Amino acid sequence: MKIYVCVKQVPDSAASIRIRGENRIHEDLTFVMNPCDEHALTEAVVISETFKGCETIAVCLGRPRARETLMSAMAMGANRSILIESETDHDSITTARALKKAIDLDGTPDLIFTGKEAMDTGGMQTMFRLAALYRMPVVTNAVDVRVDGKEVLVTSEAEQGVRCTWKMKLPCVVSAGKGLNSPGYPTLRQIMTARKKKMEIIAFGDLDLEKPMGGATLLKLEPWVEKREATWLQGASSEIADQLVTILHHRAKVI
Amino acid sequence: MNTTYDAIIIGAGAIGTPVAYELSKMGYKTITVDRGSDAGEGSTSGSCAIVRAHYSTEDGVATAYEGMKYWLDWENYLGRVHDEKGYARYMNTGSILVKSKGHDWKKVKRNYDAVGVPYEEWDNDQFKAHVPVVNTFQYWPVKRPENPGFFDAPTEELQGAIFCAEGGYVNDPVLSCHNTMRAAEANGATFHFNAEVVEITSENNRVTGVVLGDQTRIHGNIVVNCAGPHSFKINKLASGVYEGCKIKTKALRHEVMHCPSPRGYDYLHDGYHISDGDIGCYYRPEVGNMFLIGSEDPECDPQHWVDPDQFYSGQGAYARNNQLTGEQWRAQCYRLGLRIQSLQVPEQPGGVVDLYDCSDDWIPVYDRSDMDGFYMAVGTSGNQFKNAPVVGRMMAELIDAVENGLDHDTTPLQYQLKYLAGRWVNMGFYSRKREINYESSFSVNG
Repeated sequence: MKIYVCVKQVPDSAASIRIRGENRIHEDLTFVMNPCDEHALTEAVVISETFKGCETIAVCLGRPRARETLMSAMAMGANRSILIESETDHDSITTARALKKAIDLDGTPDLIFTGKEAMDTGGMQTMFRLAALYRMPVVTNAVDVRVDGKEVLVTSEAEQGVRCTWKMKLPCVVSAGKGLNSPGYPTLRQIMTARKKKMEIIAFGDLDLEKPMGGATLLKLEPWVEKREATWLQGASSEIADQLVTILHHRAKVI
Repeated sequence: MNTTYDAIIIGAGAIGTPVAYELSKMGYKTITVDRGSDAGEGSTSGSCAIVRAHYSTEDGVATAYEGMKYWLDWENYLGRVHDEKGYARYMNTGSILVKSKGHDWKKVKRNYDAVGVPYEEWDNDQFKAHVPVVNTFQYWPVKRPENPGFFDAPTEELQGAIFCAEGGYVNDPVLSCHNTMRAAEANGATFHFNAEVVEITSENNRVTGVVLGDQTRIHGNIVVNCAGPHSFKINKLASGVYEGCKIKTKALRHEVMHCPSPRGYDYLHDGYHISDGDIGCYYRPEVGNMFLIGSEDPECDPQHWVDPDQFYSGQGAYARNNQLTGEQWRAQCYRLGLRIQSLQVPEQPGGVVDLYDCSDDWIPVYDRSDMDGFYMAVGTSGNQFKNAPVVGRMMAELIDAVENGLDHDTTPLQYQLKYLAGRWVNMGFYSRKREINYESSFSVNG
């Protein structure tokens, strides 16, 4: 059984992003694995441990610096990894095509994991495009995954408070939500062991991808400063509690 | 706004607030000005707020042990003042000093004996029994992960540890400043925020006040520099003060990491504060069952001396100064990963980056200056939070004595500690005119 996990390298969410030119960012910051992809990888590793001979392969389309993220993926338990090296960013159409080509060059997938979204661009199309290219079923925002070798039962969170359980035949694509698991971070020993694992590097140009009919180009990036308005609740504890309930009910609409 | 005060304190952080509190209790009409929006919002907000007694000098140990008594009696120290935000809490976890080549622990032990700090000596088995996740191999000298030798298998064992039952950390250093501010206000003190000092005025070498960024003039014949990493900039504003200091201060960039505790180990509730010179780290529990990992400034780590204004505006050259870096994240977490092999290290850095107000010998300057009426409590070098209540009292007594005629430069004030009966601290130890003190660890250990 081969499980491929598509991972993306994104800027550290704690970093303050500075825009360069019209549509680029200054890259003098730390880059990490997309958080949802950590959940995907963790789940893949857990599943692979239950199937004899199962292999987990992390695949990434990214800059040369994404080697560090793939090294982390292998430290977290991927058996090996593939980096499609590119100096430019790509839309989800091209990304899905590149991932498929790289996977096809490597082997036949039984299960493909992705994260449910990319934290940097908010993208959430690649898993659907990848599944379409493979003509595989896909479920997104998985919060529970059970594999029996031929089929997979996936519980996904459709919207707040609504969960659906789906049965899919393997091979299929599953995108991981944050509720799926707690990421299994590596120990130093696992980090050291990862250095000995195989990372295959493929130049994006060598994939010789067919040019898609259309595409999306990022034209402009603009900083967006979220406005914060503090409300000071005053009065007796019971009055403050009443005010808080009113805010949570009417303004935040969470109760 | 009333613009005439007995004393103007610059900085409402860990040091400035207790100075204001103690001067107010002595009857001085004080105003504390700070460029931030509330007490403790400057570099104090990045403090690890460690409370431990081990220092490389006897006076350092005595002052720290005295400070611990204040934290243990925090509410009474504050006069049980009401603070709408509640009180900061001192978490008395106990403090472990690993016996290693990274610390002159024999000197610390001598200092403990001299001051009367109770402690236990543990062998490696006792260390492991109390902290079951550690291994007791020796990894000295401290290396960076980029060094191929970093991963070499260790062959020797540590020599055990020294344990002090008294020691730990304050859970919210910002709140502790707010508490002290409220206590000072209860004694008549005034605090003025969002106020940057741009000028120190003087006449005939006597300080006369400060000018704020909005050109507000505050008059006062006493000014106390408690400006943290901006201390050297404030000293430069006062004519001849910076030049009159033999010991200078400057701002050192520092990163502190938050790394999840190994699965199954409740470090938050079962853990200790640990100083581990063998791997160049100190660590303590942090909310979320995290390890807070600080650096003890090993020689192999680069030091980034920065301009504090550039740092806080994110304009500096190195990682824009105020961003955690992957390389230092790996250095500190991997080092702890040697000691705690079940430690899980995420790829995404988490933690705090802020500045030390560092002196030439990493020992603070608590002193008057060459300008009459201008005082300084500076150069706290990342290790004086624990001492802050003591420093507040020491500075207040120093200021009061000098204003009443003491020639402190010739006959330094002898400060009597309040809790350690019969022990005096020679405040000449903290003089701006001292020679560099080579007894210092030249690190955050002080």
